[in-house]
Amino acid sequence: MRRLLTGVEVLAFAGGVVFLLFFPRWLSDFRTSQVAYVGIYFIAILGLNILTGYTGQISLGHGAFMAIGGYTTAILVGHHGVKDLWTIPLAGLVAGVAGLVVGIPALRFSGLYLALVTFAIAVALPSGLKKFDHFTGGTQGINLFGVKGMTGTLGITVFGHKLTFNEWIYYLTWTVAVVLLAVAWALLRSRPGRTFRAIRDSEVAATSSGVNLPLNKTLAFGISAFYAGVAGSLFAIATTFVSPETFPIILSLYLVIGAAVAGLGSLAGLAVGAVFIQYLPDLSQQVSKSPGAPSVIYGVVLIVVMLILPTGAGGLVKKIGEPLTNWLFRGS
Amino acid sequence: MAEFWQQVVSGLASGGIYASLALAIVLIYRSTRVINFAQGEMGMFATFIAWWLIVEQGWPYWGAFAATLAMAFAGGVLLERVVIRPVENAPVLTVVIVTIGLLIALNGLAFWIWGGESRSFPSAFSTRPIHIGGVAFSIQDFGVIGVSLGAVVLLGLFFRFTKLGLGLRAAALNPNAGRLVGVRVGWMLALGWGLASVLGALSGMMIAPSVFLDPNMMRAVLLYALAAAVLGGLDSPVGAVVGGLMLGVGLNLIGTYVDFVGNELKLPFALVLIAAVLLVKPTGLFGRATVRRV
Amino acid sequence: MGDLRTRLSLGLLLALGVGLALAAATASGRPSGAPGVTKTSILVGGTVPLSGEAASGGLTAKGAVGYFKYAKRVFGRKVKYKYLDDGYDPARTVQLTRQLVEQDHIFADFNSLGTAQNIAIRPYLNQAGVPQLFVASGWGGWARQHKKYPRTMGFIPTYTGEGIIYGRYIKKKKPKAKIAVLYQDDDYGRELVSGLKKGLGKLKRRIVATQGYDPTESDVQSQVARLKSSHANTLMIFAFGKFAIQAFVYVKKLGWKPKIFVNAVAASTSVMLIANQSGQTQGAMSIGFFKDPASKRWARDKGIKLYRRIMKRYVHADPKNGYYLAGMASAYTLVAALKKAGKNPTRKSLMRAMTHLKVKKNPFVLPGIVIKTTPKDRYPIEQAQLERWKGKNWRLVGKLVRAPRR
Repeated sequence: MRRLLTGVEVLAFAGGVVFLLFFPRWLSDFRTSQVAYVGIYFIAILGLNILTGYTGQISLGHGAFMAIGGYTTAILVGHHGVKDLWTIPLAGLVAGVAGLVVGIPALRFSGLYLALVTFAIAVALPSGLKKFDHFTGGTQGINLFGVKGMTGTLGITVFGHKLTFNEWIYYLTWTVAVVLLAVAWALLRSRPGRTFRAIRDSEVAATSSGVNLPLNKTLAFGISAFYAGVAGSLFAIATTFVSPETFPIILSLYLVIGAAVAGLGSLAGLAVGAVFIQYLPDLSQQVSKSPGAPSVIYGVVLIVVMLILPTGAGGLVKKIGEPLTNWLFRGS
Repeated sequence: MAEFWQQVVSGLASGGIYASLALAIVLIYRSTRVINFAQGEMGMFATFIAWWLIVEQGWPYWGAFAATLAMAFAGGVLLERVVIRPVENAPVLTVVIVTIGLLIALNGLAFWIWGGESRSFPSAFSTRPIHIGGVAFSIQDFGVIGVSLGAVVLLGLFFRFTKLGLGLRAAALNPNAGRLVGVRVGWMLALGWGLASVLGALSGMMIAPSVFLDPNMMRAVLLYALAAAVLGGLDSPVGAVVGGLMLGVGLNLIGTYVDFVGNELKLPFALVLIAAVLLVKPTGLFGRATVRRV
Repeated sequence: MGDLRTRLSLGLLLALGVGLALAAATASGRPSGAPGVTKTSILVGGTVPLSGEAASGGLTAKGAVGYFKYAKRVFGRKVKYKYLDDGYDPARTVQLTRQLVEQDHIFADFNSLGTAQNIAIRPYLNQAGVPQLFVASGWGGWARQHKKYPRTMGFIPTYTGEGIIYGRYIKKKKPKAKIAVLYQDDDYGRELVSGLKKGLGKLKRRIVATQGYDPTESDVQSQVARLKSSHANTLMIFAFGKFAIQAFVYVKKLGWKPKIFVNAVAASTSVMLIANQSGQTQGAMSIGFFKDPASKRWARDKGIKLYRRIMKRYVHADPKNGYYLAGMASAYTLVAALKKAGKNPTRKSLMRAMTHLKVKKNPFVLPGIVIKTTPKDRYPIEQAQLERWKGKNWRLVGKLVRAPRR
């Protein structure tokens, strides 16, 4: 039964990869760039899910880790001419270390206190970015368009195919997303994943079973921050610009919203969450552009979605998936 | 020396503002174990309603004041029943997201109805400047603190000595046990929201005279109010007020006397300090340490 | 699979899916030569904040749309202006601008608001050959860096230039001043300060105190108190919106009576009227370059009458708010440029018209202001006039002065 479920998952994964490979054929060039951003949010939400969904630590400040990753890439590429691709894992590492650093004192805070502390970090970061402006470019930010080191701003040829900038960022972000998803999947299926889930379900029980709580919780923070940092790096590359205002507090809130809509504790609904946060602001605007109206629509839709799907899309998949698989394979 | 005291007095005035909203947040947390991110926007919205009554409908101040508090209460109860009740048993994060959705929607609604310009709002207290020893302040400044302290005292009495207050505490601490002894848990939670909403409206009407009323009025204050509530302890009303005042004065003094921090790093610095306090006392200065049952 | 919730959620997912499929449907392509130009219309696009702190800035877009609706056709074409809300976030500005260029095929970017926001899209637009016009920001870099980014142009006088005007005025009329400065800590405020210093020249050491504030703060009481303790007799309020109002109020509360200068963007009549009630507003000075629709002085002015007609017929909003008028001033100038761009406008011919502007009769700017550009001088408006707040109004003072660029 277990192996069957794994088989289904692998099949779904392979199907997804094939779909992603050919999706741009059906999209306009501009829409392709939008789907690239979906990939970026996918990675960030995945990271946040590892932290909140699997070890139960709430972070309302993951936008700050995206900012750290984004600025790492922007400074290296924009100010030092480093090739953008090399900066992606580097940005992840820098953000990951920052995550570990935050994760250590975070051990002392529980539940909502932690949420508020992380919220405070996300709020405070833009001020810090503005202050150290000789380093970060201050309020005018760092421009990456056409800069040496940016691989694809003016189009690029890969494996004999000519790609526009939008197609380039699409394939870049989704390749990274697929790889990181596979890594997360492997991680969560094996021992660390089970440990994380044990922690989420009951810290006391986990500790009495011999789990090293501080180590695992901090590790989860670090991994989660690494993912956000990679997402931030890709964000900088796709946007070709960073400034303190490109990582506002609302970004951290969007990530949490995306993780909740995706469904905590499961990898099935991530794409839904990412699509939600990428498209809902635009759709709201299309309904009405009166000042204030898009926000009302966004807020109401969000509340309705949460009321109907409190466990997110992933939760829904589980609800249908189990009875469905049971029904399909009755008697196995 | 006069400058020092001026900064302290201005800090107390700002701190009073943070404290009043922090109280509403603490009340909601204490009665429902939820952080309501929309608390500030609810207060702002109520203040707009008061403004509409006073300025557009010509009501007298105290009449509008009372009507607004009543409407805020009803609104809070309604929100709890309609929006929070369905996700009572959902993971904590889901409820947080719902309050965030509420924040976004209310902010947009206020914008849509009334537009984004700042407007003035009448004060319950005199705003005439008083000068003592080179320090300027107004009754308004201390009136805000006074109202918050008064609210703390009233709340304390309510929770300790009334049956309703006891019911509220029971509903928050142990809903199942509460039900067993006949506490109508659902209505207790709604009551909690109603009361917090009243506090939020009160806060808005105290704040608007000095920071001027616009849809984003509470955004900045919410931040500081959350910081104050955390500093003082999320379940301590006294802590909320003390935290708010300390924060207000502290921010002013840091901004004035710690040079490398200046104005730009004031907020991050303050947050770092609060985090440091929390490391030593994870539930805030006046919060109660939670004991976890195995 | 029975319960209501599951059914509801499936329905919801289905609805979301359908909605997304609809959203993914590509827009139709555009016909003929220049992108955005058809036989009957010219499409321009831009990004403005319609939500968040800077949301009032978005009102310029509405004013511009109103003017375009009113204006007569240019060679048979009406101007259509599509604006999108970027919430003042430069990352959204980038994405939305790409959408406008690649999906909506705009002819030019018009009236996008914000310094960082426009910096973010400037290389992209220039590389794609899309004119970036009437940038709603007083940063000097739009004109300064025109060699690298030839398709970008601003409109209003630079913040630096405004600061220089104040500095020169103080140097001339109050050389013994002791100056304190409250400024918003971003490009906006900092450019004003640097302009002030330039205008003061040797007298810049008369600046005895400066206090910045971050727009995320809730009030500036502390900063004003610190400035007062410097014993300055002149105060520059380089702030925005409610912070400017607060500054006026706190100055009065602290019993301080300096001569106040307030920057133009913060000094609309509606803002000053709020500050008037409890603030130290009388005698404050500022500069203006657009006519203030709330001022009695222009009550019978033809330009303002036209403005009110357009507001009543097409915009349906409060005409006293000067942001709408600012948008109309830009729109008027764009139409004038399009007239010069010829019967079959191309982006090239539009840029040529924009770098050879000489508009004398813009009904929305102060009389005497000539909107002029040359390929080397990319500052369309370089004149302004000082004004003093008296009673409930701004009164113009003296003559038009040059708002120098550097």
